[in-house]
Amino acid sequence: MDEISRKIRKDILYISHRSGHGHIPTCFSIIEMIRAVYETMRHDPQRPDWEERDIFILSKGHGALGLYCTLSHYGYFPISDVFTFGAFESNFGCHADRFKIPGVELSTGSLGHGVGVAVGMAQGFKLSGRTRKVFVLIGDGESNEGTVWEATMVAANLKLDNLTILFDNNCSQSRCLPITNPEAKFAAFGCNVLTVNGHDLSALKTAILSPAEGEPKTIVANTVKGKGCRTLENNTFEWHRRSPNAEELKMLLGEVNETSI
Amino acid sequence: MRRQFKDTALRIAKNDEKLVFLFGDISVFLFNEFRELYPDRLLNVGICENTLISMAAGLSATGFYPVVHTIAPFVTERSYEQVKLDICYNRFGCTIVTCGGSFDYAWDGATHHCYTDLELMRMLPGMEVMQPGSKNEFDILFSECYKNGNPSYIRIAADEHGFNFPVALGKGVIIKETPGAKVTIVTAGPLLGNVVDATNDLPVNVLYYHTLKPFDTSLINRYSKSNIIVVHDAYGLFEAVNAACAVKVTYHGLPDAFCCFYGTLNDIRSKIDLDASGIRKKIISALT
Repeated sequence: MDEISRKIRKDILYISHRSGHGHIPTCFSIIEMIRAVYETMRHDPQRPDWEERDIFILSKGHGALGLYCTLSHYGYFPISDVFTFGAFESNFGCHADRFKIPGVELSTGSLGHGVGVAVGMAQGFKLSGRTRKVFVLIGDGESNEGTVWEATMVAANLKLDNLTILFDNNCSQSRCLPITNPEAKFAAFGCNVLTVNGHDLSALKTAILSPAEGEPKTIVANTVKGKGCRTLENNTFEWHRRSPNAEELKMLLGEVNETSI
Repeated sequence: MRRQFKDTALRIAKNDEKLVFLFGDISVFLFNEFRELYPDRLLNVGICENTLISMAAGLSATGFYPVVHTIAPFVTERSYEQVKLDICYNRFGCTIVTCGGSFDYAWDGATHHCYTDLELMRMLPGMEVMQPGSKNEFDILFSECYKNGNPSYIRIAADEHGFNFPVALGKGVIIKETPGAKVTIVTAGPLLGNVVDATNDLPVNVLYYHTLKPFDTSLINRYSKSNIIVVHDAYGLFEAVNAACAVKVTYHGLPDAFCCFYGTLNDIRSKIDLDASGIRKKIISALT
């Protein structure tokens, strides 16, 4: 883990402790994926509505705190703003609101909506002859929803090679409906599939930048829920939606400081 | 009215390259000419209503005026959350044009009946809801709403009421006014034809709404001292009238049951007393 990923994780811990909100393990699962997108796609934090920007959608909306802390790192707003997370009339809700947060393109929360909207955006860019790209991050649990597969099927049929689905394969759904062999499933639905270590920033960026022609890309990112804190990694169900008290915060910060990826 | 949908689409598309259609594998043959003229702007996406709506949100985000077209129950009842969140909550402009509302597909049984669509859509913040009863109404209402930035729902009907009057989005219409009338009938869509047949010689007022939201509350409130009867083969109008005026409103329409009788639209209307004679009986009992 580089110092940026470490800092983002620590921000998440502090803010969750302060607010009593946030899904920390899922946030820790997706930090490198979001970073890889923002370090490769066209965007300008000073002009979040820039007409030539690429689009990133966090479809698994409960990872909003991870998105906020990462957007803050790239200059969209100061991290101090995010400390109001979940508070009454804060802009920083537990699920992101596109009208309140610069850089958020779609208000999400209910699972299974992001891919369909991303397909419409990608089709819109194709129709208007633009080279803008669309990235949508989904979870393996989210992929229990049929809409994920319905929209993926449409994306392949429309040959949307300007669309990339980032699949957070943290096996969060192992206790009820696991998505086994996601590579084969997305390939069967017509995607060009790449598999990477979802915490390897360099590998993620290489996968994002790899050429695509005539078919949407799916990057199966093998991740660990709670990555960076052994307590979270070993107790993902207990910590799914739990905020640390002062003592636990100290312990988790210590684990983040010790971890190398 | 569905042919009018095609004619209106052709007329507008000629001058507006931002108008795009997403079809759920219906009306495709009807739109052959459109597809020949504008092959990129009509996507027959597939039988996947949830994705149709989500895609429309995405197309709206990229500057287009998307129109989703499929059968009413499948896009309103099945895809309600997509309409609620992707379109309404995210405020992406989109027009949903459906056919098969109420009992237009009577013969197909309850799986293809849809009398909740208007009310379901009416409950969503920001949504405009229209039930035109003639080709002219459809043409005017669609032209007014498709690019106004709001989510809109328009139900195309299989039949028409047969009347012509000035049409403006959000404006109710006085069909008949009787001085001193104790009863005011309120209706929407093609059922106006049966209502007029039922009330020709009766001392009542008749109001007509092609737009259920935004609702013309000032019009209904002018009649709030009379006994208001909503005659409608769907939900939505009764609720809109109730919300608009503080008077007792009665409803003459759907039973709390599936109408599994097959046959035709008119067969079902007769069976549930929404033909002219059933409506007339209800009104006469209110008059006496």
